[in-house]
Amino acid sequence: MSLSRLVATAWRQNLLFSVLVELTYRCNLDCFFCYNDLGLRGEPMSREQYFRLFADLREMEVMNLTLSGGEPLAHPDFLALGARARELGFVVRIKSNGHALRGELARRVRDEVDPFLIEVSLHGATAATHDRQTRVPGSFDRLLANLAEMRELGLRVKVNSTLTAWNETEIEGMFAITDSLGLPLQVDPEVTPRDDGDREPLQVAPSREGALRLFRLQFERGRAAEALAAPDPPGSIPRQPEVARGGDDGTMPAPLHKHCGAGSSGIAVDPYGNVYPCVQWRRPVGNLHRQGIGEIWRSSKGLEEVRDLTVRVKETIDAQGEGGYLLNFCPGTAAVHTGSPFEIYGAAAQRRELLEQVIGEEAGAKRRLLPVID
Amino acid sequence: MTAIALTTVLRRRSDVRYRLIEGEAVVLRQSAAEVLVLNGVGAAVLDLADGERPVAEWIEALAREYDADAETLARDVLAFAGELREAGLLEEIVAEDPP
Repeated sequence: MSLSRLVATAWRQNLLFSVLVELTYRCNLDCFFCYNDLGLRGEPMSREQYFRLFADLREMEVMNLTLSGGEPLAHPDFLALGARARELGFVVRIKSNGHALRGELARRVRDEVDPFLIEVSLHGATAATHDRQTRVPGSFDRLLANLAEMRELGLRVKVNSTLTAWNETEIEGMFAITDSLGLPLQVDPEVTPRDDGDREPLQVAPSREGALRLFRLQFERGRAAEALAAPDPPGSIPRQPEVARGGDDGTMPAPLHKHCGAGSSGIAVDPYGNVYPCVQWRRPVGNLHRQGIGEIWRSSKGLEEVRDLTVRVKETIDAQGEGGYLLNFCPGTAAVHTGSPFEIYGAAAQRRELLEQVIGEEAGAKRRLLPVID
Repeated sequence: MTAIALTTVLRRRSDVRYRLIEGEAVVLRQSAAEVLVLNGVGAAVLDLADGERPVAEWIEALAREYDADAETLARDVLAFAGELREAGLLEEIVAEDPP
C-alpha cells in the first residue's frame, strides 16, 4: 500500500494521524498579523496533562506531533515535553519563530527532542521589513545567525513566510537568503483574520500584483528546478507552484470523499485544552480538562459534524469545476472570513484567478518555444 | 555486511519513527526524510527489533501469531530483516555496543 493510500485510509476511517499542539500563546516576538487569539482565557494544560495526552495519542497510533504556539519554546516545559514526544516515537515538528534557537538551547533541542523538522518564519529580505512585522528590533539579524547555527548543528529546518503588503517586493530577496542557506522556503500568499475573527491583520494583506509576482516567481523557480532535473517533454503541462499550505504533517493524500482531513486524520489543541478539527478551523469540539482525547475522538458530536461538513465542502469545491483546486480552499478560513465553511472567500477566488493567468502565460511561453515541425 | 543469523540481535535505528495503520507500518527515516510503507510481516519485524531479542525469538513470536510453516517463516523473517537493515531501518548490535 502506498503512503497516499494509507493517509486516505486515515481520512476515510477517521484514524487520527497528526496532532498540532499549541503549547502557549506567549511569544518573544510581536508580529502584527499573528493569528492567535491572545484574548482567549482558560486553565492552561499542566505538564502531567500533556504527558497523558501524548501517551493517549501514542496508544491511538498517532504519528505526527507538531509543537506550536505562540512560541513553543517559551513554554517552561518545552524540552521535557519534546523529550517525552521523542521517547514515545512521534515524528516531532516544531513551529517556532527561531528567535531563541541558538547556542545551548538549539543543541538541547537537537539532542533531547530530535525533531524531524523545525519550521521558522522569515518576514522579509531586510531588517527593516522583517523587524517591522515582528516589532522586535534586531530580530532579522538574529534569525539569520540562528538559521546558520541550526544548519551547522544538523537540525532540519524549513522556512515559512506569509506574503504581506510589507514584504511582497522582497520575495526574490527572501528566496536568495534561503537559497544561500540551503533551506526550503514556503510562502503562504494569504493573510488571514485572527482566530477570534479580528480582521486587523488584513490591513497588511498582499496586493493583487504582489500575489501575481509570487506565483510567477514560483513557476519560474519550478521551471529552473525542472531544467536541472529532467526536462519536460515538449507540450507538457506546467507544474503547479509550491504555494499551497499543505497538511501540517506534510502529506497530501489522494482525493477522497472529503475535502480535507480536518477532524478526520488531524486535530489541533490550544494551550487551554480546547480541541479543534484543525489549526485553521477554530470550532471547538471538546476540552481535555473534561475528557480524554480518546473519548473526544470517538464520541464528540462536534467532530462528527465537522467530518460531515468536509464531505459537503468537497461537493461545493467539486462544483467549481476543474480549476477548483486552485482555490486552495480552506473551510476554516472561509468560516472566519464569511461565517460559513462553504463560502468562497475573496483571497481564494483571487488566488484561482491569478494562478489561471500564470498557468496560461506558462502554456503560451511553452508553445512559443516549441520547434515548428512541418 | 555480515549475513543475519538466528542469533543476530537487531534494533531500530534511532532516526526511525513508525506507526501501525490497518496492520501496515508507515515508517519515516528522519535523516533521509524518507517514508516507507511495510506490509504486516515487515511491520511485525520492525516492531520486534528492540535490540534485546535475537532473531530466533522473533520467529517464535511470529509463529504463535501466524499459522505458517516454521521453516518458511524463518526464511522470510531472515530475508525481511536483511532488507530492513539494507534500507537503513535496522542496525546490528555487536557485543561492545551499548544496548
